Amino acid sequence: MSLWENIKMALMSVRAHKMRSILTMLGIIIGVAAVIVVVAIGQGGEAMLKSQIAGDGNSIEVFYQPSEEEMQQGKWEENPFTQEDIRQLEGIEKVSNVVASSSEFSTARLRDEEAETSITGINEAYLDVNQLKVEEGRSFTSADFLGGRRVAVVSAAMQEELFEGESPIGEIIRIGVQPVEVIGVLEKPTGLFAFGSVEAYIPWTSMRNMLGTSNYSQVTLQVQNADDIQPIGDRATTVLNQLHDTEDSYQVINMEEIAQGIGQVTTIMTTIIGSIAGISLLVGGIGVMNIMLVSVTERTREIGIRKSLGATRQQILLQFLVESIILTLIGGIIGIVLGAGTAYLVSFFADWPSLISWQVVLGAVLFSMLIGIAFGLLPANKASRLDPIDSLRYE
Amino acid sequence: MIQLEDITKSYSLGKEAVNVLRGISLEIKSGEFVAIMGPSGSGKSTLMNIIGCLDRPTTGSYYLNEEDVSQHKDQELAKVRNQSIGFVFQQFQLLPRLTALKNVELPMVYAGASKKEREERARDALAKVGLQDRVAHLPNELSGGQKQRVAIARALVNDPSLILADEPTGALDTETSVAIMDLFVQLNQEGTTIVVVTHEPEVAEYANRVIYVRDGLLGQNPLEKGGQTQ
Repeated sequence: MSLWENIKMALMSVRAHKMRSILTMLGIIIGVAAVIVVVAIGQGGEAMLKSQIAGDGNSIEVFYQPSEEEMQQGKWEENPFTQEDIRQLEGIEKVSNVVASSSEFSTARLRDEEAETSITGINEAYLDVNQLKVEEGRSFTSADFLGGRRVAVVSAAMQEELFEGESPIGEIIRIGVQPVEVIGVLEKPTGLFAFGSVEAYIPWTSMRNMLGTSNYSQVTLQVQNADDIQPIGDRATTVLNQLHDTEDSYQVINMEEIAQGIGQVTTIMTTIIGSIAGISLLVGGIGVMNIMLVSVTERTREIGIRKSLGATRQQILLQFLVESIILTLIGGIIGIVLGAGTAYLVSFFADWPSLISWQVVLGAVLFSMLIGIAFGLLPANKASRLDPIDSLRYE
Repeated sequence: MIQLEDITKSYSLGKEAVNVLRGISLEIKSGEFVAIMGPSGSGKSTLMNIIGCLDRPTTGSYYLNEEDVSQHKDQELAKVRNQSIGFVFQQFQLLPRLTALKNVELPMVYAGASKKEREERARDALAKVGLQDRVAHLPNELSGGQKQRVAIARALVNDPSLILADEPTGALDTETSVAIMDLFVQLNQEGTTIVVVTHEPEVAEYANRVIYVRDGLLGQNPLEKGGQTQ
């Protein structure tokens, strides 16, 4: 008797007891779906966290952290990056952009309306590197930076707050007492950790003129190749420490280490929750075994008939084993579809990347088949050992 | 074709051994129509199970077609049942979810015949028992007599050397019983060896020879002896 024959027979038997089959599969369906959802959300969340923290992986922030001695000597600087520093940093090999900015909190006014806002003076590379896109109006031109023009690009939240959603292009707002023309609005940020804050960006040169800020407070390096990020970061701190004659005040954060740490945490979380989901798969398997045992008892006479017609013990064993594998396999496939759908929905609403790898799907299929074999063996073995004479008499 | 030599069968009930068959020797030749009779508890069912290779004797040897099957393993017995024996039971023993045709195909499924061959031969067998227009019916859509005809078709389909019928008319009315027994006679005339186990003398009358079993031994025909039974 061929395997195909067995599969057809098993499918017929599954169809014959629809309700029972579905209820039996439910344990497997829920188990497989839960594992897939947990793993997909875990991996998607991890990828998103990493990208949020490390960006595209090719930029690194340089920060200023003077030692206690230097602080006591009064060497502490509020805006520690000078124009000269930026020029030097730009001169380092393989650095593609140096993003510099300086921000302050201030009040923005439009006629009678007021809004607390952060004002960020930026250099030319800032918007591109931080992937901020102008949705309405225009972005800054080189002339805006060179001439220190009083123009601003505002965040979507600011547009809501100050302009009540009306187009702000061409409007003059006052930052402090200084008038600035709004030329563009940024795209609304997306993502779980993106808060729409009230912000205005102006060329750093304008900021210097308006507010008297002399230096930059934040500097980020963008490098051509993500692999070079750490050596270039180290080179940058050396240059800066030399320029300022400081010991170790200029430092870079190793983003890779942080990303790895996060990866470890999410992997542990995914493993823990995944194993809990895996337990439900085990419970589902026990359900399959239970039903198969009932089915064997119920079909004692059928087994007797088949044996009297020449079915061997192995053929009966295979028949029931295939049946339990078919049950768990169908359950597994439904579980995969359900799990993938749920993972997709979650990632859609949370704006996470949906990561369902083929390895997880293949693993789920194989694992549910394995459960079918493991929990089908006992009932199938019981069926194969039934005595044909007793089975034929069974009522 | 069937040769039993000093067959015994005993079961252990707790500590006690029950001897159901106590030394039976008999021979059935190819083409015979034999009835096995005996009161309940006589051991005739056990004898039938041994002849049908559903059970093994405790001692003694059983030659079926010159082959000693008394010490065969389960797997070999299954093959003998499949190839050489066709069973007909009192309760028909059809699989309720399969059509008449699929039921008749079953022995060939275990024999490993191709789908096309199975269907052809199953149709032929059903035609032989007069059910060519009932192939697609499920057992519960058939009358008792029709069910038994399907069972006979199933017994026939692998072309066995022996058809073993256990009380084949036990669940049928008189008129249907006659028709079923006529069918057995017809099959026998076409050359099939038939062994019927029954306690009904009317059924035994169809046979060429009657074997009596009593207390685990072969007995004399009680009717010829002037009869204690009936």
